[in-house]
Amino acid sequence: MTAVTRWRYALVTFGIALLGLGGVVLLIQVDPAKYIGIAIWFLGALIIHDGIIAFVVFGIGLLMRRASKKIPFGVLVIVQAALVLGALMTAIVVPEILKKNIGTANPTILPLQYGPNLAIFYGVLAVVTAAAIALYLRLRRPEPVPARVG
Amino acid sequence: MINGAVQRLLHEFRRALAAPSRNPRMAVVLGRLLGAAFLICFGTGLFSHFLQEPLPFMRFPTRPIFLYQLTQGIHITSGILCFPLIVAKLYSVFPELFQTPPIRGVKHALERASIALFVAASLVEITIGLLNTYQWYALFPFPFRQTHFALSFVIIGSLAIHIGIKLPVITKYWSAKTSYDANGDLIPLEREEDADGQFVPAAGELQPVGGVTGRVLGWIDRTPEPPKPKASRRAFLTTIGVVSAAIVGLTAGQSFKVLDAVNVFGPRKNGVGANALPVNRTAKAAKVLETAVAEGWTLTVTNGSASKVFTRPQLLALEQHEVQLPIACVEGWSQMASWKGPRLKDLVDSVGADAGAIIQATSLEQNSSYAVTKMGPEYARDELTLVALELNGEELDIDHGYPARLIAPGRPGVMQTKWLSSLEVLS
Repeated sequence: MTAVTRWRYALVTFGIALLGLGGVVLLIQVDPAKYIGIAIWFLGALIIHDGIIAFVVFGIGLLMRRASKKIPFGVLVIVQAALVLGALMTAIVVPEILKKNIGTANPTILPLQYGPNLAIFYGVLAVVTAAAIALYLRLRRPEPVPARVG
Repeated sequence: MINGAVQRLLHEFRRALAAPSRNPRMAVVLGRLLGAAFLICFGTGLFSHFLQEPLPFMRFPTRPIFLYQLTQGIHITSGILCFPLIVAKLYSVFPELFQTPPIRGVKHALERASIALFVAASLVEITIGLLNTYQWYALFPFPFRQTHFALSFVIIGSLAIHIGIKLPVITKYWSAKTSYDANGDLIPLEREEDADGQFVPAAGELQPVGGVTGRVLGWIDRTPEPPKPKASRRAFLTTIGVVSAAIVGLTAGQSFKVLDAVNVFGPRKNGVGANALPVNRTAKAAKVLETAVAEGWTLTVTNGSASKVFTRPQLLALEQHEVQLPIACVEGWSQMASWKGPRLKDLVDSVGADAGAIIQATSLEQNSSYAVTKMGPEYARDELTLVALELNGEELDIDHGYPARLIAPGRPGVMQTKWLSSLEVLS
């Protein structure tokens, strides 16, 4: 048995032991009637990730690659980065907007203007993205022209 | 026929997803970062857990005074950082979702099941953690703290199993030198059975597919792969860096003062609230609006049969000390504040407390598992630990624990008992 193989067995064994510990903690600390709620969250996470986000990202990736025939590589990269940042920030901030609208236990929880701040963020992101594209196109070295033979 | 079509579809999905930023080296690079973030969250989480529920033998450091502020700020901030990192990690191994055949045997089925558990547990853990900082408890059909705690073991266990399974890939692609050749192309694994992570679809005998699916696949076929692998990979990593910096930068001001000026999305804001300090549980929620301002309020300090009773004017007549201590919530926000009042040790010494005694504090608050808390001698004997009567130069606001509250260095906010009614020296 090689050292790597021994490490593999050790890690998997340790991992299974920790899984068991997690199960025991769950059994002791959480009422079994609540397990169904946890299971729904797990299933929801897999459906939302593997079933929805995965295919949306797949589609966008494909569109981007198609677009790479006509649009310069760097421009696509910048647009892609802006899309990812916008999407992730939206995922983090929209629950704050929703929860603030529902109401909080006291005014010091979620005290900021999340909706307007997000709108400003989108605006800044759009401006910065446009500026980055303009800068890229300006600084870009022209594509090397293949030497003609004959 | 249908089977063949599905297989072809999965194959083509994988091929269409082949990209320079999706290779095992990238998975290792991102896996290291995400793994580190998970371990940091786990360690700081365990620290916070045991501060609240110490095992009998446990004693904790009281310095530096910002210790808990720092560990819990790191816990929440690394948790937020996990969002871009986990998205990037999943993206880098995306084609694996469409591997064919989906199950190649018992071992492979177990491996995929363990990955599904790992991914689901991780996504649920960071999402409920985030929503908990928004105090959106209604979304949880389970108790947050206990579930978050149990899942942390599931995640670290799954992480160990995952590293164990992928160890040959991880060691091979740990350093960039052994990952790419002189042209910047990925060096494949030597052993076929370890080559899972290569994402290069096998050239199988595939049945052609007609109809709409066939046309979509044809369109994929005519789609070129990106021409610049090295630049693509750099662009991908830069994107992750920029996204992570933006998300952390615009939220972490709730935990780290230096970022307060750009805290536009944090669920808490420094300086907002009574006495210029945020509040977690209000007097109204704790149902102490009447008892806390009652004429006859006293603080009872007992040690066995010895007992003393202090009115608020009597507490104010004791030697007063002013200390600068942060209030740091388990939800990650924290803020420095100025507190004034008698030292806890002076009060418990007045009833002859032993130097190693544990102090039990009881609050007026109702319906809270934190209404009665215990404090180890390391905090009780600390000269910075006060029964605070004033906050930031003003009388303690009722939402901050009027008439008197505990404040000690390096403890979670929930343990800094508000609306004190009695202190008991335990033998």
